[in-house]
Amino acid sequence: MNPRPLIYPMLSAAAALLAFAPGSTFAQAIPAAAKVATASSTPVKTARRTADGHPDLQGVWSTASVIPLERPKDLGDKEFFTKEEAAAYQKKSMAAREVAAPGTYGDVHYNMAQFGLEKGQAHVASSIRTSLIVGPNGQIPPMIPEAVQRNAARAAAMKGHEFDGPENRTLGEQCIMWPNEGPPMLPAGYNSNIQIVQSAGEVAILQEMIHDVRVIPTDGRPHVAANIRQWFGNSRGHWEGDTLVVDTTNFTSRTAFRGSSENLHVVERFTRQADDRILYQFTVDDPSTWATAWSGELPMTRIDGPLFEYACHEGNYGMRNNLSGARAEEKAAQAAGK
Amino acid sequence: MRTKILLAIAVFSLAAPSLWAHHSFAAEFDPTKPVKLKGTVTEMEWINPHTWIHMDVKGPDGTVTSWMIEGGSPNALLRRGFTKRSLPVGSEIVVEGYQAKDASNRANGRDLTFADGTKLFLGSAGNGGPDDKPDK
Repeated sequence: MNPRPLIYPMLSAAAALLAFAPGSTFAQAIPAAAKVATASSTPVKTARRTADGHPDLQGVWSTASVIPLERPKDLGDKEFFTKEEAAAYQKKSMAAREVAAPGTYGDVHYNMAQFGLEKGQAHVASSIRTSLIVGPNGQIPPMIPEAVQRNAARAAAMKGHEFDGPENRTLGEQCIMWPNEGPPMLPAGYNSNIQIVQSAGEVAILQEMIHDVRVIPTDGRPHVAANIRQWFGNSRGHWEGDTLVVDTTNFTSRTAFRGSSENLHVVERFTRQADDRILYQFTVDDPSTWATAWSGELPMTRIDGPLFEYACHEGNYGMRNNLSGARAEEKAAQAAGK
Repeated sequence: MRTKILLAIAVFSLAAPSLWAHHSFAAEFDPTKPVKLKGTVTEMEWINPHTWIHMDVKGPDGTVTSWMIEGGSPNALLRRGFTKRSLPVGSEIVVEGYQAKDASNRANGRDLTFADGTKLFLGSAGNGGPDDKPDK
């Protein structure tokens, strides 16, 4: 077993003093077409290695990004910005959060710039990508009819019952899993931080949101039996040169990543490109949901730890307030109908 | 107008589930019930998934009402440079936000300022910020 246990530091007065260290520098993403030709797309030769000779991916990393998963439609087939355009886009993405139109969700909700550390304020690895999804299209492929029907049936069954009880709320509100956790791991609205710990034969990935860890064997063992289904699927890793490849199957049907079925299959690739940067690539495939597989990539940037505990149910007034809000609305509707 | 606002909220919520908050904000707070509360901090709960600030608000007739104000995630606030000393018991604050739909004395804190107009969180040093160094 790993001699270095994962530590979940409790929030304390001492921990309150912790803050991000000044920003580190980040290399820009390399266009896929240029990968073969550029030295920086290959793992750094001088990178630290673990005792068993594999690249050392350990540490605390941020997946925060201002780049959307899917490319904004107005950018068409433009996959990469120029450096100047990327800087302007980042600035614009942040400004949009500061000035929300009256009455919109962004206006009514508390100001994340004040009350938290929104993604625009977190350490963000710079990138010239226009979407996390790679390729000329930049979009998740359309769902096949079977999947459209499956998701519509699920939504129809839930319609009008969304607030009947806690079990009808989202997996996130139930503190089971957040949609960003994946795999594939995507940026969350805030606290987009992960910690990687390696030992001989295992890699563990802890996600701050919402306090879940995947322990991934890298000893060549097969996936668990098909009848065992897991919220985050069943992950198995192996090394391809200096890249950690993680293959995940056995998802539950309720995990439903972007409307996927339990046949979801995700392959993730972790390549340390620099001391402060990991290139995280993923391919998502589910023949029961999309006609084609789709891929994306995201630069992770090294940050000072530690991760903080995120005890999701600790003071989950939100669940109670959501349900009491729904009861109050029902009562008001009933009174109005009399 | 109200329908329009609610529709906008619903659309945004669909587009970005759980992106901003841990829970369904639109279901919990009422965008038609803005509140502005001036009072004194009695407690701050450093709890997940959201911090909650407790405050006493004195009405025009002198009666005191206790309110609970929802704040950001404690993890994010810590990284933002917020400490237990930032909002001690007895602090005079003004909160602008929206009341809970069940009409209880709970609200989200849209904006929070000290009585003298100083913003509590804005302008904290060392909060990171996107990398503004030139690309390698």
